[in-house]
Amino acid sequence: MEKNNRVSNRQLQALIITTSIGVGILSLPSSVADIMGNTGWLAILLGGLAILPFIYIMNKLGEMYRGKIFYDYGKEVVGNIIFKIFSSIYLIYFLVLLAFIVRVFGEVIKAFLLDNTPLEVIIFTMLLATSYIGRSNIEAISRMALIILPIIIIITIVFILFSIPTLDFTNLLPVFQINIKDIPRGMSTVFFSYVGFEIILIALAYIEDSENALKCSFNGIFYTTIIYLVTFLITIGQLGIHELKKQIWPSLSIMSEVELPGFFIENIDGMLMAAWVLIVFATMGPAIYTGGVILSSLFDTKKHDFFVLPMIPIIMGLSLIPESLSQVYSTMGNIVKYLAVFSIVIAPTIIFIVALFKERKSL
Amino acid sequence: MENNIPIQKKLDENMKTIKEIFIDCDDVVYREFKVGVKQNFSLAIIFIDGLIDQDMVSDFALRPLLEASRYLEPNPITIKDNLYNLIKDGNISASEIKEVETIDEALEAILVGETALLIDGYKKIIILSSRGWEKRSIEEPQTETLIRGPRDGFTENLKTNTVLIRRRIKDPSLKIKMIQVGKRTRTDVAVLYVDDIVNEDLLNEVKKRLEDIEVDSVLDSAILEELIEDNYISPFPQTENTERPDSVSASLLEGRIALIVDNTPFVLILPATLGTLMQSSEDYYTRWTIASIARIIRYIAGFVAVLAPGLYIAITAFHPGLLPTRLAFYLASTRINVPFPAVVEAFSMELTIEFLREAGTRLSGPIGTTIGIVGGLIIGQAAVEAGIVSPLMIIIVAVTTVASFTLPSYEFAAGLRFYRFVIMICASLLGLYGIMLGLIFMGTHLVKLNSYGIPFTTPFSGIGMATGDLKDIIVRLPIIRLKYRPDFTFPKDKKRNK
Repeated sequence: MEKNNRVSNRQLQALIITTSIGVGILSLPSSVADIMGNTGWLAILLGGLAILPFIYIMNKLGEMYRGKIFYDYGKEVVGNIIFKIFSSIYLIYFLVLLAFIVRVFGEVIKAFLLDNTPLEVIIFTMLLATSYIGRSNIEAISRMALIILPIIIIITIVFILFSIPTLDFTNLLPVFQINIKDIPRGMSTVFFSYVGFEIILIALAYIEDSENALKCSFNGIFYTTIIYLVTFLITIGQLGIHELKKQIWPSLSIMSEVELPGFFIENIDGMLMAAWVLIVFATMGPAIYTGGVILSSLFDTKKHDFFVLPMIPIIMGLSLIPESLSQVYSTMGNIVKYLAVFSIVIAPTIIFIVALFKERKSL
Repeated sequence: MENNIPIQKKLDENMKTIKEIFIDCDDVVYREFKVGVKQNFSLAIIFIDGLIDQDMVSDFALRPLLEASRYLEPNPITIKDNLYNLIKDGNISASEIKEVETIDEALEAILVGETALLIDGYKKIIILSSRGWEKRSIEEPQTETLIRGPRDGFTENLKTNTVLIRRRIKDPSLKIKMIQVGKRTRTDVAVLYVDDIVNEDLLNEVKKRLEDIEVDSVLDSAILEELIEDNYISPFPQTENTERPDSVSASLLEGRIALIVDNTPFVLILPATLGTLMQSSEDYYTRWTIASIARIIRYIAGFVAVLAPGLYIAITAFHPGLLPTRLAFYLASTRINVPFPAVVEAFSMELTIEFLREAGTRLSGPIGTTIGIVGGLIIGQAAVEAGIVSPLMIIIVAVTTVASFTLPSYEFAAGLRFYRFVIMICASLLGLYGIMLGLIFMGTHLVKLNSYGIPFTTPFSGIGMATGDLKDIIVRLPIIRLKYRPDFTFPKDKKRNK
């Protein structure tokens, strides 16, 4: 039944949303507010817009080389050796990204759920759980995305509902009191919160209805932007700009303050944390899968699954290098940013331009 | 019996070969007799005692040959070479006969309950269709009882079972293809499908898998299920089974395929998905509001069956702060005398319930009930009074067990039960985070699972989500609203009603 082994447009959309939203959603409001003040929402909007050209490029590439994944047709476009260098950088990017995500994840879980459990245990078990889906195929990953998507929507709704009574939108005032120079910095921070959607470089090769793929990808980014905006508006409305800047994970601190007297569960933050595990999993699963796929393209193997488990100790080692949480966000975060710029902006653009030239020539 | 033994002209030689093969098979009956006015033509019949309809053989084969032909004065010249055809066309009044040209074919026919008629001087054997053995009458299914709905259930007899379907779908496009599986058991399997609905690829895939089976025996549909499903290691079933002809008919009309295996009342329906395993045929016989509520309750029960004991362990051992303060204090006060950690408490009670269930299935009838009462009431009560477990634990274990029995598919509930223990272990190690890891593990397994090429998590993960399959999954909308067949089988004819 060949028809099933495809990624449907709905699944593509869900993939983009679930992979983009991950650990970023916890720190985004405060890091944006840090740079842009209470006009941070502008940075989120602009950041979302800034992603679109690259989504477009990835989709066009997918259309030009239908049925092939980026890490394979890249070899045709720029030549085997150059692309192997590209692939290696992609691989490093995914390893560091995973290390970053899993470290932040471990710190959050340790802070909010399991204060006595060693960080290493949390990191290792999470990597182990993700490697299971990383060893499967893109169809299973996109099915998982579609199952996790409603959980994200429910969390967002719960988040809104419980915050409404205490929201104070005067915290947003005064508007547009910003330094123009801050905008690019704010945008780059936001840009970084979208990483993960590069899975479409693989997913587009398996798309069922390639005509509407671009529209669905745009929709995916659109919904992600909305969720980020809502999070930002609620955290700033709840905490105010000064308090917001002080927090590392403002969305979580809001939730831990919500109390539901009379309900079976009084503190909702534990439940939300649990659901958030799934969201992080939805970001990490595709990333570890992509790592395996890149390795299999580097070594020209047919299968990717046996590369996934050996990646775990490397990622774990990387994730334990930073000594403190601030180092994770500053040093490691910056490395991920530079690598992300390469893998989302530079590499696809180069390949796109070369591919366009090649197409011209052949005509 | 691999080599093909040809039939000899002499009756005696044929009889000798067959008797040699059937040596020590004392249930085989040989009857040699002579016919004709001068008693000069030797014939023999061979059958297996009890497997055939004795009356039929004597009324429609022996009597015409022995009595009717005695009084006729046939022309010796016409008889000379033509005895075989005369007997075949003129004497035997059984309605279904065929002829075979090797001994092996004859043996095969005898083994399925047909009667072989051997005639001296001819290299052919006539096979009379005479199957008829003791069989159970159609009764109400034991496992899937309904408040409202048809009361007939499948029996062990394949023919009876196909008739039950044919009586419900009077459509020439309902096809019933027979194949045999199992080298020794030679079990008949009927593949049922509605020709102009079923997807060709699915049908070919199923046929191919059935043909590829190379085993000795297929004694029940459960064995067949295991041989043809996608992932035999998974704790979850990828095939539905039922004793109800109405539910099979409904599935056939959705473009699914049914496999009826001889000698078992359990019919397989495939493909099966998470959505279809939660449907019960009663959903369609009660009003849609009630049916929808029942469905939603079943889904909740599914979650409870997997998560409840794990959550108890996680909350008492790791996160008591999640509960409202008063509840947390109450919980602590009930556990104050319990000497064990929550994990031991939960595992010992779950183990007790498993013992009870296992004992209950072995002992049916009044003893089973006694076991249930003794186990459920007395052990529970005594355990609480002795202070070994907290009363809340008893409640949770009981609710979990009851919840797991609300699921229509016993096999699926058993799969969830397996994951309940996985999640309990995860919860005892890592609390709420462990539960989520367990769920991720289970979820990944589910999204990887396929049922005959169709994703098991359908329609929650793609196919049919956009086209309205969900109208008949978590809720059951009125029949008139279910205009289209579900999409996950890729039916050729989409429209169900106007």
